[in-house]
Amino acid sequence: MTTELLQEQQGLPSEVLQKNDVTIMIGGQGGDGTLTVVNLLGRAFRNIGLFIYDSRNVLSRIRGGHADGVIRASTKPIYCIADNVDVLVAFDEEAVEAGEQELSNQAIIVFDSSKGPLDPNYSSRGYTVYNAPLGNLASQHLRKNIFKNTIAFAILGRLMGLEDSLLEQVLRARYERKGKEALEANLKALSLGFEYCNSNIRASSFKIARLGSASNRILSTGNEAVAFGFLAGGGRFFVGYPITPATDIMEWLAPRLPKFGGVVKQAEDELAVINMGLGAAYAGARTMVATSGPGQSLMTEGVGHAGEAEIPIVIVQCQRVGPSTGEPTKNEQSDIYHVVFGSHGEFPRIVIAPGTASECFKMTVDALNIAEKYQLPVFILMDQALCQNSESIEPFDLSSVKIERGKLLSQEQLDSIPLYKRYELTEDGVSPRTIPSLEGGQSQVTGNEHNEFGLVSTDRTNRFRIMHKRMKKLEAAKKDLPRGVVFGPSEAKIGVIGFGSNYGPILESLEQLQEKGFKAKFYQIRTIWPLLEEDLQSFVDTVDTVFVVENNYNGQLASLIKSSVEQRDRIQSICKFDGTSFKPNEITRAVLSSVISGIGA
Amino acid sequence: MTAKFYTPSAPIWCPGCGDFGVLASLKKALSELRIGSKDTVVVGGIGCSGSIHNNLECYGFHSLHGRLLPTAIGIKLANPRLTVIAAGGDGDGYAIGSGHFIHALKRNPSIVYIVMQNGTYGLTKGQPSPTAIPGYEGNVEIPFDAVLTALSIQGSSFVARGFSANQTQLTDLMKKAIMHSNSNKGFAFLEVLSPCVTYNDTYKLWREQVYDLNAERGYDPHNRASAFKRAYELVLQEKIPTGLIFEGEADSLEKNTLTSPVPIAFQDISIEANLPRYQEILNDFH
Repeated sequence: MTTELLQEQQGLPSEVLQKNDVTIMIGGQGGDGTLTVVNLLGRAFRNIGLFIYDSRNVLSRIRGGHADGVIRASTKPIYCIADNVDVLVAFDEEAVEAGEQELSNQAIIVFDSSKGPLDPNYSSRGYTVYNAPLGNLASQHLRKNIFKNTIAFAILGRLMGLEDSLLEQVLRARYERKGKEALEANLKALSLGFEYCNSNIRASSFKIARLGSASNRILSTGNEAVAFGFLAGGGRFFVGYPITPATDIMEWLAPRLPKFGGVVKQAEDELAVINMGLGAAYAGARTMVATSGPGQSLMTEGVGHAGEAEIPIVIVQCQRVGPSTGEPTKNEQSDIYHVVFGSHGEFPRIVIAPGTASECFKMTVDALNIAEKYQLPVFILMDQALCQNSESIEPFDLSSVKIERGKLLSQEQLDSIPLYKRYELTEDGVSPRTIPSLEGGQSQVTGNEHNEFGLVSTDRTNRFRIMHKRMKKLEAAKKDLPRGVVFGPSEAKIGVIGFGSNYGPILESLEQLQEKGFKAKFYQIRTIWPLLEEDLQSFVDTVDTVFVVENNYNGQLASLIKSSVEQRDRIQSICKFDGTSFKPNEITRAVLSSVISGIGA
Repeated sequence: MTAKFYTPSAPIWCPGCGDFGVLASLKKALSELRIGSKDTVVVGGIGCSGSIHNNLECYGFHSLHGRLLPTAIGIKLANPRLTVIAAGGDGDGYAIGSGHFIHALKRNPSIVYIVMQNGTYGLTKGQPSPTAIPGYEGNVEIPFDAVLTALSIQGSSFVARGFSANQTQLTDLMKKAIMHSNSNKGFAFLEVLSPCVTYNDTYKLWREQVYDLNAERGYDPHNRASAFKRAYELVLQEKIPTGLIFEGEADSLEKNTLTSPVPIAFQDISIEANLPRYQEILNDFH
């Protein structure tokens, strides 16, 4: 059969299509090694200068159960998975079933047919199906089923028109460190894949565009960026308790922070985590803790203590599906109220929310500075997708890192103070802070209401003044808080607001809306509390409708915004709470259906 | 000379409270060991006893109910040169904070932990605490014996019990406890029988029950198994063993955790000082 014939039969154009953007899904059982293929592809794409973004969909179990990885490559920067999958590698039928609703109409399916070919119905639905006995090939020739990954990698490379030499180079880079045996076995698997292609797939289905040679870009998840931001920002005390999807931060820091004289401590529970953190921060260490919703629930009393006792601490909150145990590995943004309001009593706190890995790095440094300058708890609000998906980005800008410790007194400064008061009433509400071992800075730091010395007081005048002192720090801090960023044409009358991992899907949705003739602009909110009301108001003033896009049931961010702007009726919610991230076209459809029904009315 | 900082407040305790004896012996021990107030951090829990830091010249930290141990451990890890003393009640330490107690024994941080044990929640007007005896205010549970528990945790390195009415013994135990932790040998646990004169006046009962193990010929406080055996025998005889009950050798938390001779609190964290090494880490992201 000639190449042309084969392509015709498969419904492919005889001229090979060039694609600037491609999304590939690899699905199987946990332990099948689907993530290995994602990593190999990522390396190959980066070597030809492409931007990549990947996400992993796993269950909360060590082995088994359906798991898949999705990787997208593009000639432009990308911050989310595309609407549709172009190529699916399925190690079992379940992976096809799980992935089918994501597939584009012309998708290609590479199916591991070791246990029989894929149900022919899939071909009749328009997909191009290759039944390749991946597992059998691996078992027969290499005695290990797991090499089916590398075989799949070879087939994927050929399908996308990647050069064989590039694939080999990527494989060598990964396995050379793991010893000769591993490398040779993988190279053999690669050639098995090529052989399969030689007799079954005579031409590539499309050709992925090149963007030059390997770029200087790095690959980072949000969690890794937060962890590195903590280190570079002078963080030297991290305490945690394992919890998905926050654990990566502790895992990243554990081998590195001690090399800088710092401590990574795993505590017995989150009650210990927050209080150990508060002790270290009080004694002078730049301190961060990281957790998810359930851990924050246990930490809540400690967060209030940080507020009352005025101790600087950064809390990374990696949101997942809740409440209770919820879905530990799935994406949600339903802890907005929890971070903004959780606790008894009232105290100043700050909640900032990065949207990309670059921002995760920079805003972690900001969080450390803000915590120390204003002596209060600062939350970095993350979500599972931002935490664990990888982005290719410019290297972190280490030279831009500035460390500001606020009114932290040196011994010389203390010596010039006639009478030291830890909670001295000041113009901006921030009192000079000392750390134990300085002479003359002896004081009481306490969760009891207290006077300026930190001694217990229930005097009503004192309570009134000291409460004011604490709360006004929030006003003073506003000048240092990350402001929102506006994207899209300024004259647009459709507004979108969102945060965290919705940054990417919203940006792409703006493009989709533009293609359909609708101008929309996006206000990426980066400080969730206190709301920067003037900025929000001036955005809302310029549009007819604002769609607040968030991953929760109640529209928590929308209700916060409604409480702070004048035109409440302009605010509409686009909510998703099925555990998956927004696809750009889901936002586009929701905006369009509302706008079009509005025009109709 | 005018004071440079706060004047300690007067204790809030009832006249005759055992906690006065704890405060007196703590002050005496710190003074005799010549430990300066600037280098002393006292972490208080919640309850009558948990206000003791207000009555001393020191760096005081009033933590949350039950959370004084993690707080004190955090302080010690940030600056191991400090004398860190956690002081609270038995409700604080053996009920709401019991998880941290077990883990502190296992972890062996070089801090002193003083528990003022009185069998009751005095500040909330007399509910049974974990050490309450059966029959006290409707209590039907057997009392928690923290000394036996501490002995049973491998890695515990200092276990003692004093009585606030015996100042000589108590001051001596305080000094031993502080010396143990200040020589980075680990966690010095000192339970003090400290009667609540208002809700559970046990002075008379405890005077009859206390038994100084260090006065017993042949008692070896360096042998965990025989210490446990002897302490348990005494408990079965309705006696309360006191004195330095056990002192052993185990690596301290700081020894196993800290990597720099400079305390974290005083390290140079500037970007300039660390940039080349940060650049190396950045390469891992490529």
